[in-house]
Amino acid sequence: MENRIKNVMSAVFRVPVGSLGDAPSQGTLDVWDSLSHMQLVVALEEEFGVSFDDEDILQMQSLAEITAVLERCSGKG
Amino acid sequence: MTARARRRISLDGGVLEPGYRRINSMEELKYSDILRLNDQLGKGLTGNPYHIAVLSNITVAFIKELLEYPLRKAGVSARVALGDFDNVVQDSLKYKDAHAVLVFWELSNVMDGLPVRAELMEDHDYQQVVDKAKAQIDLVITHLKGTSVVLMNQFTAMPFSSGKISQSRYGSLAVELNAYLREALLENMRLIDMDKLISVFGLERSVDWRYYYSSKSLYTVEFFKAYAAEVTPWMLAVNGKSKKVLVFDCDNTLWKGILGEDGFDQIEMSAQSKNGVIFEEVQLMALALQRQGVLIGLCSKNNADEVDRVIRDHSQMVLRDEHITIKRVNWLDKVQNLKSIAEELDVGLDSIVFVDDSSFEVNLVRANLPQVVVLQVPLRLCDYPAMMRQHLPLFQQMTVTSEDRRKAELYRQRAQREKVRDAFAGVEDYLASLGIEVTVFVDQMSLSARMAQMTQKTNQFNLTARRYSEADIRQMVSDEKYVVLAMGVSDKYGDEGVVGLGIVRLEDQGSFAHIETYLMSCRVIGRNIEFAFIDHLVRMLEHKGVHRIFAKHIKTPRNSMVKDLYDRCGFVQVASLETETDYELELSRYKGCRPTYIGVKDGK
Repeated sequence: MENRIKNVMSAVFRVPVGSLGDAPSQGTLDVWDSLSHMQLVVALEEEFGVSFDDEDILQMQSLAEITAVLERCSGKG
Repeated sequence: MTARARRRISLDGGVLEPGYRRINSMEELKYSDILRLNDQLGKGLTGNPYHIAVLSNITVAFIKELLEYPLRKAGVSARVALGDFDNVVQDSLKYKDAHAVLVFWELSNVMDGLPVRAELMEDHDYQQVVDKAKAQIDLVITHLKGTSVVLMNQFTAMPFSSGKISQSRYGSLAVELNAYLREALLENMRLIDMDKLISVFGLERSVDWRYYYSSKSLYTVEFFKAYAAEVTPWMLAVNGKSKKVLVFDCDNTLWKGILGEDGFDQIEMSAQSKNGVIFEEVQLMALALQRQGVLIGLCSKNNADEVDRVIRDHSQMVLRDEHITIKRVNWLDKVQNLKSIAEELDVGLDSIVFVDDSSFEVNLVRANLPQVVVLQVPLRLCDYPAMMRQHLPLFQQMTVTSEDRRKAELYRQRAQREKVRDAFAGVEDYLASLGIEVTVFVDQMSLSARMAQMTQKTNQFNLTARRYSEADIRQMVSDEKYVVLAMGVSDKYGDEGVVGLGIVRLEDQGSFAHIETYLMSCRVIGRNIEFAFIDHLVRMLEHKGVHRIFAKHIKTPRNSMVKDLYDRCGFVQVASLETETDYELELSRYKGCRPTYIGVKDGK
């Protein structure tokens, strides 16, 4: 799952997967602003066939948090 | 497997048959894939960049790549710039020189909370909102009056409708502003029907409320894909990427039944029969396209004389010989036949749309000629006209001129000439027998639409491949620093209409001249009229006091046929780069290049 998330991040942020680092987050990536966050959310929703709610979206500020949210979604589903 | 089971559900919820694909098929790609593919295409872009600006009063972050991708895929070096958030009026001034401007105006954000406040306002407050919006529309239209192409959203109240649009003040506001927009619109501007887009797509799937209140973003990425599919045909059209030829198979494509088996009397194509009515509608659509200048062709495995008899004598046929420009009715394979159609009509394979019912033929052509758009007659026949309708934007043009309406006739005249040509020993003898006469029109405003269209559609005989809108042409026609020459051609077989264009920019009080554009429609190639035209152009500039003319051949993948044109006219190469060759002509040394058998006169 992490690899799929990283692939999406790489497309949205236009950064090679290799330079995302082990724990990419809003703190480590300058390009991750509120606008690109919206793009990331939509791209992740398409990738994983899910729909996030407002709280999830606010929480998803790093690879670890995105993974956690997605795991919770698939657990629910 | 039954026909029913084979159907699949498309992403937009409609039932899709095999071959029933959307024009740019973006809906089959994930957003992240489009971002990735668009980046890749962006690295290999060649040719003149095509700058598009998107102005909006809401957040439209998704639109950039969704516009760039289908255009880049079609070979247009599209670059989209997003204006500042909610800065439409100022940005319309800032971006007026872009090749295309898209105004994505969202009614709900014209004022905070407008959808609900509209109901509560006093009449005079409401009137102020109306007046302010109209004033902004006026400013934007004034700023963009000279821009090549302007596409503007019609206002929609749908995202905020409560099931009684007609009574809501917000709904009437949209109606009133749209009426105002339509009145104020200039000829370089087109409206995008948001209500239609949203209703085709469904409101639930068009709108994403999650970002509306926090980020002023209202529409889903899926909606923007559909939106892009609606607007990109206009941009493809002005870049010479519209389809020009529609080729049909015959059996079960133009009519119901198989001519060779069912026979002349059993095939159906009229409203009098259950299945025939569908084919009649498709034939009528083809006729309407033919009237706009699309060339209609046949490519069918059949006996030619039997098909000819149907076209000539069958009472139900809509399409007759005078509508069909080219026929390949034989037993050769369709790949060969389509190639020879492209060759004879002198168009690229990427200008052709081919319709067939057979999966075998459809797959064969798709596999071998990926440039051709291939449409398959849907298994559910009732979907056939709708499928065709959905693909009509492929043929979209900004304007339809009288040359377009006569195109099929013009191609027939050419075929006649070619038949006679075989009887002559040499080409020159033959050309001399035609009685060719060139008419040159200088700065003729009434030809602006045709002149702009030629710059948009001509790819092969086009020295610089610069594209202009009608507004651009009008501006140059009225500017003293430019001389705009259109060329008409006729001979004893008929009048070709306006088929050539030269745009010259004068410099240094008219002692130097630059040929910015020199092009000719491919249907008149091979008659040496290009030399008569350029000779006239040079003589005219000489008469105006020009001493030296500068000219360029800007290389594109399609215009290599003119690579030595200026050499042959007596111009001297001064620089040869990978992307262009530069020429000069010292008028004192000019010897002339008009063939003696071509007459030239001034047009009025």
